[in-house]
Amino acid sequence: MNNLAAKFEIPYFQFLDPDGKPAKAMPRIAGDVAELVRMYETMSFVRVFDTKAIALQRTGQLGTYASCLGHEAVHVAIGAAMRREDAFFPMYREYGAQFMRGVHPHEVLLFWGGDERGNCFKDAPAHDFAWCVPIATQFHHAAGAATAFKYRKQPRCAVTVIGDGGTSQGDFYESLNCAGAWQLPVVFVVCNNKWAISVPLSAQTSCETLAQKAIGGGIRGEQVDGNDIVAMRDAMDRALERGRQGQGATLIEAMTYRLSDHTTADDARRYRDSAEVEDAKGKEPLIRIRNYLTAIGAWDAKREEKLLADCAARVDAEVAIYKAAGKPPVESMFDHMFANLPEKLVRQREECLEGSTHHQGGSH
Amino acid sequence: MKTFNLPDLGEGLQEAEIVSWHVKEGDVVKVDQPLLSVETAKAVVDVPSPYAGRIAKLHWKDGDIVPTHSALCDFDDGSPSAAAAAPKPEARQPAKPAATFIKEVPIAEDSGTVVGKMATSSALVEETAIIRKRVVKGTGRPKAAPAVRAYAKSLGVDLSRLTGTGKNDLITRADVDRAASSPGAIAGTKDRRGEARPAVAKPSAPVAPIAFGEMTPLKGPRRAMHASMTKARSEVMGCTIFDDADIHYWAAGNDITGRIVRSIVAGVKAEPGFNAWYDGEKLARQLHERVDLAMAVDTPDGLIVPVLRDVGHKDLAQLRADLNVIKHKTHGRSVSPDDMRNPTITLSNFGMMAGRYATPVVVPPTVAIIGTGGIRHDVVPVLGGVEVHKRIPLSLTFDHRCQTGGEACRFLAAMIKDLQKAT
Amino acid sequence: MAKVALVEAITMAMAYEMAHDDSVVVLGEDVGKNGGVFRATLGLQERFGAERVIDTPLAEALIAGVSIGMAAMGLKPVAEIQFSGFIYPCVDEIINHAGRLRSRTRGRISVPMVLRAPSGGGIHAPEHHSESNEALFAHMPGIRVVMPSSPARAYGLLLAAIRDPDPVVFLEPTRLYRLNKQEVTDDGQALPLDTCFVLREGTDVTLVTWGAMVVESLAAAALLEEDGVSVEVIDLATVSPIDEQTVLESVEKTGRCVIVQEAPISGGVGSEVAALVAEKALYSLEAPIVRVAGWDTPMPLFKLEHDYMPSTARVVGGIKQALEG
Repeated sequence: MNNLAAKFEIPYFQFLDPDGKPAKAMPRIAGDVAELVRMYETMSFVRVFDTKAIALQRTGQLGTYASCLGHEAVHVAIGAAMRREDAFFPMYREYGAQFMRGVHPHEVLLFWGGDERGNCFKDAPAHDFAWCVPIATQFHHAAGAATAFKYRKQPRCAVTVIGDGGTSQGDFYESLNCAGAWQLPVVFVVCNNKWAISVPLSAQTSCETLAQKAIGGGIRGEQVDGNDIVAMRDAMDRALERGRQGQGATLIEAMTYRLSDHTTADDARRYRDSAEVEDAKGKEPLIRIRNYLTAIGAWDAKREEKLLADCAARVDAEVAIYKAAGKPPVESMFDHMFANLPEKLVRQREECLEGSTHHQGGSH
Repeated sequence: MKTFNLPDLGEGLQEAEIVSWHVKEGDVVKVDQPLLSVETAKAVVDVPSPYAGRIAKLHWKDGDIVPTHSALCDFDDGSPSAAAAAPKPEARQPAKPAATFIKEVPIAEDSGTVVGKMATSSALVEETAIIRKRVVKGTGRPKAAPAVRAYAKSLGVDLSRLTGTGKNDLITRADVDRAASSPGAIAGTKDRRGEARPAVAKPSAPVAPIAFGEMTPLKGPRRAMHASMTKARSEVMGCTIFDDADIHYWAAGNDITGRIVRSIVAGVKAEPGFNAWYDGEKLARQLHERVDLAMAVDTPDGLIVPVLRDVGHKDLAQLRADLNVIKHKTHGRSVSPDDMRNPTITLSNFGMMAGRYATPVVVPPTVAIIGTGGIRHDVVPVLGGVEVHKRIPLSLTFDHRCQTGGEACRFLAAMIKDLQKAT
Repeated sequence: MAKVALVEAITMAMAYEMAHDDSVVVLGEDVGKNGGVFRATLGLQERFGAERVIDTPLAEALIAGVSIGMAAMGLKPVAEIQFSGFIYPCVDEIINHAGRLRSRTRGRISVPMVLRAPSGGGIHAPEHHSESNEALFAHMPGIRVVMPSSPARAYGLLLAAIRDPDPVVFLEPTRLYRLNKQEVTDDGQALPLDTCFVLREGTDVTLVTWGAMVVESLAAAALLEEDGVSVEVIDLATVSPIDEQTVLESVEKTGRCVIVQEAPISGGVGSEVAALVAEKALYSLEAPIVRVAGWDTPMPLFKLEHDYMPSTARVVGGIKQALEG
């Protein structure tokens, strides 16, 4: 006699096809055209910024930089859906989400420009975490924050992002499991862009979907077309609502494609098929929302031209701020170590200042 | 005219090969428009334009290898021409891949870093690396604990001249003491390598004796001193008694000079005859109630002797205040002849520099002068044992024409008794 | 004989040993087709196949743990950890198992693995890519820690590490990867572990260092030679266990000791060298031991990294301090 111990289903959501043709039934967010336009404008801004950041790196004015080309819908949907009191735990690519929450582009540049002041987040929520280089550790942090929200009975959610590669990490599994066991108000977004540097998804796991790893943690998992801003935003809205209502955690696998190199020091042409990249370009997120908005009369070529000009001007202004930042004071290495600096470090700070060759312009 | 130099592409590479230009001379370009593609040894990279303007000149052609930071192209943007670009280095052909295993993959041009900026060069490192694991029996350098080294240094003892008596020839503190007390132990200086510079010198060349020359006349206080000392020698019959005051039991905070002055007053009280003027021709003397004490002071201009008036009616605080006035006047060179006139008795507190006892000179018409030497720790017998006590050496010279030795001793005894009080 | 950079010498050593011993396998993230993020495994998968050169999932603890299992069953895994700041998840496996299995089983099971990782800063990299964490492993029993400082030593020491029957953490100074080239003969000759290399003989001061700081140390010694100061420069190479004899003998000769390390000063390998010299060569010292090291702060983001890392000037300062006593 065959018994079944468990069974699972992973729903999939898409509302705009790659050309922007809408599904028969559209979700609630589709009714808020102003919001769709706002999100589209931010997606465009992110792309202009991203292109500029790469150019800065290529002209020796920025250190290694992780491009977000192709991920604009995933990231902007996250930031647009979140409330200010929610907490965001980024990896290191989600500028779209961060810009929506008040992180300044020049702060992104400062971080990749080798300057801790980029993490200050002057106008973003103070409880948002900084960029996280050690893969998957941010999942632990998000689960911890969600625990605190629940303990204090606050209607707040933690949101975090990981790549497909990161879902192989132990920290990823541990966090899902904990979120399930404690019914945490956390949204785990797996931004599946198909590549972990040079390792394709097929070498990363044998799971049919990454969303089903949620089952292993005892939480809900769903897959979304991450290049469809409408579907992504709807998924985020629903997941955050669940969290706030005490219904626990959600894992959203956002399907997209990494159109850029892993970082500016990588060359994906070494290990990727150019045909695959070209195909993905045809499905990128800005095309379909632009087409949809144009079709419903909410967008046109003139607005597009103005938007791009505005974005360029804003990005240039942010780049100017970044370039004017100079080198942080040498003693800042010591000044944020502890609330009260221990004696040994006070001495080292003085020694360092005496021996420092700090001068304007940051020479080495 | 603006020149665009090949930037450091963040891969730490020294050079890049031009794959193809996307613009030609005369084209007008916008900021960030792709200018050319370069190969950076593991990737082909598009370089965007940093300026807007017309391309005036391309300095390289497709296939050239361009060193980082050298001029790529010139822009005519209407701005005045900048200083001439750096001289253009020779265009090179691409290097051949290295031999052996590495030949299979063109690794020679691959810097390979996914992050960061790595210095890359073909500079050949030349080095010697020696493996040295033999046990060396001893280098012959002296071994001593740091404290002993410091001790030896303070005594000027050269460790390399000693044989240590400690374990494994270790030099001990006792070894250093022994060496310090023996003649010739103090070495010459040593240089950093431990080689001693010689302490024995060659004899000097002979020189002629000094000849008599022109004499310089005495001036000022020194001249006056000649006069008064000559007079003293011809008139006074000086006799000096020496003793010590034991100030071991002094309370803290005693003003030394003040106490000495007070003790003189005590001496005068006991033997008034020492606070007097004597006329050796008339064989008469004038005893004084008031004690006007002359204080011998050594100044850069010579010996001067200002007078502290009526010390017998002043307490220690008052004495100190008046002493400070004298000190101030002395430093300011404003001691007047009036300040120095007609003392009744004199104090010479000479011990600050050196000197224990002295035979100070009585200056007529006074009949007594007290000299105090340097306060010192003396070993004194106490109840069959020994202790170390602070003592003030005292010397009293008196004019034996009118005062007796017994009187002098009683004077001194009274001084000592007062000096030895705790306060 | 070939003129190779340090990272190329690493590749040469692995290739040589894989060609002569089929129990040697390579694993890590991006080591296969991509040849490693620093190209240390370039061409190996092409030559030896994907079964022997394995792209692992993104999981450092996994890389260390799986290597232990492979090694215990008779393979010789050479695992790569991609960046210095990502080695910490391996600490659990390396300390609790790799360093202990032989003792735990009284010799029945051993772990002949090598864990390679880049080490140290100076490459303008993002956060967590410039760590100096050799002391973590140096402190733990049962683990060897080796740090090459030239292409020739990288080749010879890696061969020795692969052949050694016990675990070796092999930390490669990132900024030396391509700094220069050296003639290295691909003849399979290993260099001895647990042995110092005297890179410069001298009589006035003993300078003990390892890894990338060899560069600044030799530069400082060359500068001071013009002032008539003779500095003996010793490369520890194996930072755990240290070749004490070479260090002590040198200090006995010179009477002065300067230790140069990039890692934070407190509790580092340099502290161990200082303790060693103080214990066993105290009576030869003419001046206190001097340590020139990184501050007890995280390696800052790259704008300040050269204020963190001991410069040639700081090393010169340290040597002069030792001379003044």
